[in-house]
Amino acid sequence: MAKRRSAFIYFIKNWAIFLLPLLITTGFLYFMLFWTMYVSFSDWRGTAPNYKFVGLKWYRLMFSMDRFWTDFKNNIKWLLIGVLPTLFAALLIAYLLELSGSKKWEAYVRTLILYPSAMSFVVTGTIWSWMYQPDRGVINTIFDIMGLHMLRGRFITNPETATYWLILIFIWQFLGLAVIIFQSSFRSSELQSIIESALVDGASRMRILFQIIVPNIRGGILILASLLLISALKVFDIVYIVTFGGPGYSTDVLAFFMFIATFQQHLVSLGAGLSMIIFLMAFVIVVPYTIYAFRRWFA
Amino acid sequence: MRRFLVLLLIGLIMANVWAARELIIFHWWTAGGEREAADAMFEALHEKYPDIKIVENPVAGGGGVSHRVVLQSRLAAGIPPDTWQTLGGAELKSYVDGGYLEPLDELYKELNYWDVIPKPLANAVTIGGHPYSVPLNMHIQNILYYNKKLFEELGLKPPKSFDELISVLKAIKKAKPNMYPLALGTKEKWEAAFVLDSIILEVGGPEYYVKLYKGLIDVKKDPVFREALEKLKELIPYMYPYHASLTWDESCGLLVSGDSAMVIMGTWAIGYFQTRGWNPGVEFGATTFPQVPERILLFHPDTYGLAKNAPHPDACLDWLKVVASPELQIPTDVTQGGLFARLDIDPKNFPDPIRQELQEYVRKHPDKLILDQHGSIAPMSFTQAYWDAIAAFLVESNIEKTINNVATLFTIYNVKEEAAWYQWP
Amino acid sequence: MIKNRRIQWIFFTVVLILSVIYLLPIYVMLVTSLKTPYEITQRLYLIPSLKPQFSNYVQAFKRIYPSLINSIIIASTVTGLATFFGGLGGYYLSRSRTRFSKVLFILVGITLYLPYQAVLIPLVQIAAKTGMALTHWGMIFSYSILNIPLASVLMGTFFFSIPRELEEAAEADGASKPQIFFRIVSPLSLPGYASTAILIFTQVWNEFLLALCLSTPETTTVQVKLAEIKGSFVALYNIQMAAALIGVIVPLLLFLLLGRYFIRGILAGALKG
Repeated sequence: MAKRRSAFIYFIKNWAIFLLPLLITTGFLYFMLFWTMYVSFSDWRGTAPNYKFVGLKWYRLMFSMDRFWTDFKNNIKWLLIGVLPTLFAALLIAYLLELSGSKKWEAYVRTLILYPSAMSFVVTGTIWSWMYQPDRGVINTIFDIMGLHMLRGRFITNPETATYWLILIFIWQFLGLAVIIFQSSFRSSELQSIIESALVDGASRMRILFQIIVPNIRGGILILASLLLISALKVFDIVYIVTFGGPGYSTDVLAFFMFIATFQQHLVSLGAGLSMIIFLMAFVIVVPYTIYAFRRWFA
Repeated sequence: MRRFLVLLLIGLIMANVWAARELIIFHWWTAGGEREAADAMFEALHEKYPDIKIVENPVAGGGGVSHRVVLQSRLAAGIPPDTWQTLGGAELKSYVDGGYLEPLDELYKELNYWDVIPKPLANAVTIGGHPYSVPLNMHIQNILYYNKKLFEELGLKPPKSFDELISVLKAIKKAKPNMYPLALGTKEKWEAAFVLDSIILEVGGPEYYVKLYKGLIDVKKDPVFREALEKLKELIPYMYPYHASLTWDESCGLLVSGDSAMVIMGTWAIGYFQTRGWNPGVEFGATTFPQVPERILLFHPDTYGLAKNAPHPDACLDWLKVVASPELQIPTDVTQGGLFARLDIDPKNFPDPIRQELQEYVRKHPDKLILDQHGSIAPMSFTQAYWDAIAAFLVESNIEKTINNVATLFTIYNVKEEAAWYQWP
Repeated sequence: MIKNRRIQWIFFTVVLILSVIYLLPIYVMLVTSLKTPYEITQRLYLIPSLKPQFSNYVQAFKRIYPSLINSIIIASTVTGLATFFGGLGGYYLSRSRTRFSKVLFILVGITLYLPYQAVLIPLVQIAAKTGMALTHWGMIFSYSILNIPLASVLMGTFFFSIPRELEEAAEADGASKPQIFFRIVSPLSLPGYASTAILIFTQVWNEFLLALCLSTPETTTVQVKLAEIKGSFVALYNIQMAAALIGVIVPLLLFLLLGRYFIRGILAGALKG
């Protein structure tokens, strides 16, 4: 009895202050999550709340819509093409900066690729839509100036490729952050000493990168990949600003459809259902990832 | 102690009196010519009721896209403003159905507003027999703007029918092969539906138009809708091909920059052209399109209502009285680009001949007005998806797919039931 | 510089490509910000204005100044709250060995994937019912709720890389966990705090939709104001770009300040172990 009590007191004295904020915040979020889940099973389709239970009505509707499946495919594209190339490019650039050895160039490149993170998609999206405009846009104009007329593209006005050009904006925006995270991961002194000895042994740069560095910065890769995956899955601002889902709805994503359904069509239950789908997709990705991270942390 | 209580009481009374004369108003007239219009509205209010303090929440975003987001959140959370801008028609109905607006029968009777505005306009703000908001203007959707100097140069007359439009487009293309004769910007999706509407009006006539958006037509079997889509397809080669990346104002900008010669847009484009240095009747001309079989004007109004549980209902009612008055409508509408809601205002108040003529026409034929895409007949849930379908049609040109899509949309969003409230004529 | 010629080549090519794709948009922004409305219509993005309108910046500043203050207030408060509570939470997640903490870690991780649009309506409702909606606190509350889990996970990962010997020794001496945390672990974790702070600050600063719903004219943030400047009627891109450039100064300053400290901190902290 006394033992349990003192364990409790121990807990309060030591852990309560750490646990409480986390519990409260997480509690709130889950409360809101369940609220959304409930709404997705209700019939809220006007401006006034409607909590009548209708089961899977809206989900069935959703799955029958062509638009939903386009969105789903688009979101998958965002996940794969948004995350992997960013990781890869950032890794190479960070490594090159390490190899360069010049503080000056490092600072220059870092500032260069970092500034977009200081800007919101409202701004960068607007500028990139000007870059992509087929008739007078920046990219095509430059091709014209250089005489490379055949390289002119339709970019985001071509429904087949539009999404890829949007993803490029995403990569462009996040590259700076990714490089910084990688660079700071490189700086651990144990890693530095391993690299030193490998260099002495005459290993090539590429080998050092992939066989020594990468395995040792798994923590950094983990954080970065998580951030990128989260942002890619939730993507909304870029689509809203640059294409508004168009042409047609070829660049539509689930989060954007959710926005239109909830706030323009006033079909709040449909929007809630879409949110749940986004969340479920995240869950499918999170679970294996969390298990991996888990082992890493608590192994 | 007693003195303190007395002061407290006075303070509370004063606070209440103060609070009673505030007006919390949501709108989306934030920039360009619209900011000045909003200022004009508030000035008119100040003239009449100088003691009302205006607390506005302007939310940027064309046609109220973002505005609706904020409004919906606030309404659902139970903190409504006193009044907000709404477009009449199905949008208004969604607020009425939600129980967020007070009926304004008394007000209308007091102001005799029924008799002053055209019947279709009154119908657009009347749901279930009660008016729920006060319109302050009318925007006409189906206006064809054209480059006047170019038309004079090529000896062209503004087209009144689809066939005339095609021949004009052909003539322009021949004379100026680098031009895209018809400007278009479908980024916000609704622009595509504008063009189709004009075609539908001609091919099917006004009664058909109303029936269509009331969900009474089976588009899969109906020849008129199919024909309209086919005609729309004929226009595609003359359209600006990269319309998916342009907003409506940028599409009007194509005329100014000389890339295009014509655009189908609403009356709000007049203000846009003027800020770009183009004047009505000088650089550009405008005509309603089509004018066969009849000259119909597709319109939507900007209106304001009274929220249920509004924090300051008296101030709001005073505001609505001002909204209905010529003192507000004249400066506001002239600046913002719409027509006057009141028929008893002299059209000569407009500085440009285009709107003078339109207002005269409305005065003489108030019944030739039908609700358009923005303040729509069909419910918002349908209309949004419909815009996407037509915008997609312009890209894919697949008539079968579009017809099937639209037919499905009519069913899913229960248009027949939801649009039954609308009466025309 | 670089000893290997080939790598030098690759390096400079990469720098060149990066320079083009990152400097071009800035150039376009600058050029656009000085144009007249008529020139905007021409859409000649690369051609500088023939009549540069420096007054655009004056106008832009006047319009964006109040929202800059608001954004600074909101973003700083949220960053402070989130990094502080995130640090606390992260410490728990990384040091507690109970099954409960492991489960909690998963639950917290899951919330990171929740699209914030989904909780928009309930957030506004909560903010409204508690009277916070029409003040800065509505946004501060909402952003904090959304960011504390992220901060916890970030700080937790960072704490994981700090070896436990120091803490174990202190605990053997009889110190309580809070004491260990505030006196020993936190000072060592400033790089972690710095990077978390940067991330959260920029996220909050750049957020648009939630701010749109929860702001009033007095509490508008920079992003909402930027969208407003563009307007619905006539797109004033010139003023908007000028305002955007002004608005970018705050996060950039933060980057420059904390960034340097952050790297130095990393090197110092990395010497251990």
